[in-house]
Amino acid sequence: MQEMRYDQLRQMVCRERLNNGLEVFLLPKPGFQQVFAAFTTRYGSIDRTFRAGPDEDFTTVPDGIAHFLEHKMFESEDGDVFATFAKQGASANAFTTFDQTTYLFSCTGEVAANTETLLDFVQTPYVTDENVEKEKGIIDQEIRMYDDNPDWRSYFGLLKALYAHHPVRIDIAGTVESIQRIDKDLLHRCYRTFYHPGNMIFVAAGGFDADQLLEVIRANQAKKSFGPAPDIERKWPDEPAGAASPRTEASLSVSQPRCLIGWKDRKAGLKGRPLMEQELLTGVILDALFGRSSPLYHALIDEGLIDQQFSWEYEVTPSYGHSLVGGNTPQPDALVERVEEELARAASNGIGEEAFERSRRKALGRFVTSLDSPSHVTRSFTSYRLKEADWLATGEVLESLTLEAANERLREHFSSSQRAVSIVWPK
Amino acid sequence: MSDFQSIHQGRLAVHVLAEPRFQTRHVSVRLVQPLRRETVTGVAVLPYLWMEGTGRLPTADAVWRKADELYGAVLRSGIGKRGDRHVLESYVAVPDEVSLAGASGLFDEAVDLALDLVTDPAHSAQGFPGRHVAREKMLHRRRIEAVFDDKVAYAFERCVEEVCRGEAAGLPRLGYVEDLDRLDGLKLWSIHEEVLQTADVHVYVVGAVPEDRGWAEALCERVSQRWPVTAGAADLGQRRPAAVQALPERGGEVQRITDRQNVNQGKLDLGFRTGVGYDSDEYPAMLMCNGVLGGFPHSKLFVNVREKASLAYYASSRLDALTGVVVVQTGIQVDLHERAMDIIMQQVKALQDGDITDDEMELTKQSLRNQYLQLMDQPVSLAEMHFVGLLGGRVRSIPEVLAAVDAVGKADVVRAAQRLRLDTVYFLRDAAEVRASAGDAV
Repeated sequence: MQEMRYDQLRQMVCRERLNNGLEVFLLPKPGFQQVFAAFTTRYGSIDRTFRAGPDEDFTTVPDGIAHFLEHKMFESEDGDVFATFAKQGASANAFTTFDQTTYLFSCTGEVAANTETLLDFVQTPYVTDENVEKEKGIIDQEIRMYDDNPDWRSYFGLLKALYAHHPVRIDIAGTVESIQRIDKDLLHRCYRTFYHPGNMIFVAAGGFDADQLLEVIRANQAKKSFGPAPDIERKWPDEPAGAASPRTEASLSVSQPRCLIGWKDRKAGLKGRPLMEQELLTGVILDALFGRSSPLYHALIDEGLIDQQFSWEYEVTPSYGHSLVGGNTPQPDALVERVEEELARAASNGIGEEAFERSRRKALGRFVTSLDSPSHVTRSFTSYRLKEADWLATGEVLESLTLEAANERLREHFSSSQRAVSIVWPK
Repeated sequence: MSDFQSIHQGRLAVHVLAEPRFQTRHVSVRLVQPLRRETVTGVAVLPYLWMEGTGRLPTADAVWRKADELYGAVLRSGIGKRGDRHVLESYVAVPDEVSLAGASGLFDEAVDLALDLVTDPAHSAQGFPGRHVAREKMLHRRRIEAVFDDKVAYAFERCVEEVCRGEAAGLPRLGYVEDLDRLDGLKLWSIHEEVLQTADVHVYVVGAVPEDRGWAEALCERVSQRWPVTAGAADLGQRRPAAVQALPERGGEVQRITDRQNVNQGKLDLGFRTGVGYDSDEYPAMLMCNGVLGGFPHSKLFVNVREKASLAYYASSRLDALTGVVVVQTGIQVDLHERAMDIIMQQVKALQDGDITDDEMELTKQSLRNQYLQLMDQPVSLAEMHFVGLLGGRVRSIPEVLAAVDAVGKADVVRAAQRLRLDTVYFLRDAAEVRASAGDAV
C-alpha cells in the first residue's frame, strides 16, 4: 500500500494495485459518518466499436448498450441488490457517462459488508432473455423523459453539431429503436470485455479505517479468479478538426428558447497533468469572460438576453473536448452575436490580470470547500483518475497557471471554425 | 455530534453548530413571514433584489466580484416555502481559513456580506433603484415561467397547488406574473421594511467555528445591531407565531385534473392529505409509511410500478414534513395511465390493509437510518432540519428521530396509511388534437 499525503488539504490517499489489476484508492475522512464508495469501469457510451483479446475484427454494438448493462447489473439470482444494500443501511445507485460506468453506495455503517456487496454484484452478472425484455420498457421511459428535457435536448443538439462522427454525439441511453436490438449475448460480450478488474477502479471517501477496508477488498478479490485481462482496442472514427455543422435547432414544450454556443477543441488527445492544466486554464478563462463577476454577464442581463441560468462548461477527455456557454434567452441570435463580440474583444485586448486572479481564486476556494462532501470527492477523484490525473492536485495546478498562457489559450480555442450553436425553440 | 447552540434576542435567534471536521463555514440568514396573497409576489422578489447591490457594494457586479474575491464564496439568496410560511434567505459559504494560505478574516467578511444583503440593500428615498427593480422584475417573470420547462417538477408543483387550493400553503412560492406590473421601487421598499420589522429572524452558522457560548453570544450581538429599532426587549414574548399545521382532511370528491402539453412522456402525480404534521406523535409512523410506499428502490411503488410492470422509469413518493402532504410521482407512457393508477392505488390499499412484510419494515428502517445519519455530514441539511423543527413546533434531533422510527411497529404504519386521503389526481399528458387548456377534467 502506498500512502500519499496532502497536508494543507488535510487529506490522505491510500493506493494499491491488486494482483488481478484492480486499482484501489481510499480517502479516509476522520470524523465523517458517511462513506461513499464507487466501483468504476472504463466503459461508457462512446466505446461502441472495439475488439478484445483474440478477436480479429472490430465489433460495433447497438447504441445505449453500456447504459443498458448498467441497469441489468442490479439484477441478481438471489434477489434484489437494492434490498441487500438497504438491509445493510446503504443506498445504492449507478450512472453511465460517455466514458465510464460507475456503481456506488453511500452508507453510515457496515462499510465492510457494503463494500463486499458492491464488488460482488458488479462481478456477478445475471442477465436473462426475460429480464432484458423487461428492462426495455423502463429504459424506453427513461429516454422519453430526457426527450422532454430542454437542457438535455439543447446539450445533445450541440454535440451533434460539433461532432461529425465521434460517438460522443450519440445519446448515452441510445434511442427507443437502438435498445430494441440489445440482447443477452451482446450484453455478455460487453461485460466480458470491459468488466475485468484490470479495467476498473475502486474509490472510497469518508469515515473508515483505510487498512481495514483495504484488507476487505484484498480478501474479496483473492477469492475470485478472472483470467488474464483482455487487451481492449477501441476504434475511433476519423473526426474532422472543425465543427460538423454551424447550427442545429429543435422545438419543445418550453416557455422560452434555450441556446447553447459551443467550441470543439482542436487540442484533444491529452491526459494526466497536461489535460488537467488545459481543463483548469480553460475554466478560469470561461469564468473570467462569462461568469457572474464578468462585465458581459451583467450587460446581457441588462439587455434582457439572459437570465440567472446562464452558465459555462468545459469538458475534456483523451478523445474529445469542447466548451460551451448559454442558457435561456428570448433572442438566440442576438445572444450569439454578443458572445462573439465579447470573444473578439477579449482576443485583441486579452483577459485582465485582475479578472484572471479573481477567477483563479474562486476555482481554488470551490475546490477546497468541495472536500467536505465524500460523494463529490469520490466522483471527482474517480473521473480524473480515468484520465490518469490526480484531482487532489487541483490547487497546485491552479497556482501554476499564468495569465500569459490564458491569453494564448483564449486565442487558440475560440475560433469560429470550431463553433456550433444549438437552439431549442418553444413549440 | 454536538447540538445547535441557540441564543435568542426578541424575534432574533442565532443558531451555531461547531463542527471542526468541515473545511467550509456556512452562514444562512432566514426571515420568516406568513404567506399572503397580497404580498406573495413582492416578498418573493425581495431576496433577488438584495443581490442587486448593498450600501457598500452598490451594483450586482460589485457584489459578485466581492464574493469571488472571498475565494469564490458561494453566495445565494432565494425564497422558500415551508407550509404556510414564506422564507427569505441570504446564504454565504466560504472555505475554512486554515485550508488556504492568506485567507484570514474570510469568515467575518462573509457574515457581513450575508447581513448587508438583508439589512442594507441599495436604495434611495425612492425605495429600491429603478434600474434594479426593472432587472429583477424581468428576471422574476422568467423565473416563474421557467417552472413550466422541467416537466417532472412542473407536474409536482401543479399537483401540490391543487391539493392545497384555497389554503395559504397553496400560494406559489414565486408569486404571480400578473402581480409584477404593479410593483415598483417604492412599493417593494415598503414590503421590505415591513418584512424587516415583523419577520422572525434566524441566523445559522455551521462549520469549524469556536464551540464556546461567548462566541455565539458575540455573534448574536453583532446580528442584533443590524435590527436596532425593533430587536430590543420590547417585543420579547410579545407574540410567538403558531407552529405550522398540517393540512386538515377535506371532504368531498377527489379532484381530477388533466393538463395537456406537447410532451413525450406523461406524468401521473397523486396528492394525499394525511393531517399529520411535524409535531405530531404520529410523524415517525408517517415517515415509515411513506418509506414503505415509495421512498426507496425497495419500496412498493418502485418494485411494482417499475420493476414488475415495467411501466415507468421513476415511481416514488415523498412526504412534506410540515403540511403532511404525500405526493406519488411517476413518469409513464400516456396511454397506460389507467393501469399505472390501478397499480399505485393497489399499493396504497395494501399498506392500509396491513400487507407489509417484515423485510419491508426492516429495509425502510435501515434506509431512513442511513438517510438521517448522512445528514450529519451535511451542514446545510442539519440547519434545515433544525429550522423545520422550529417552524413545525417540535425540534427533533437526529438520534431522537432514529429512536422514534425504530419504535414504529407494523400496526403504527397501517394506522398512518389509513390517514392517507387521496385528494388530487394530476395528469400531465400529450396535446390533444383539439388544443385543450389547463384544468380540464379527466
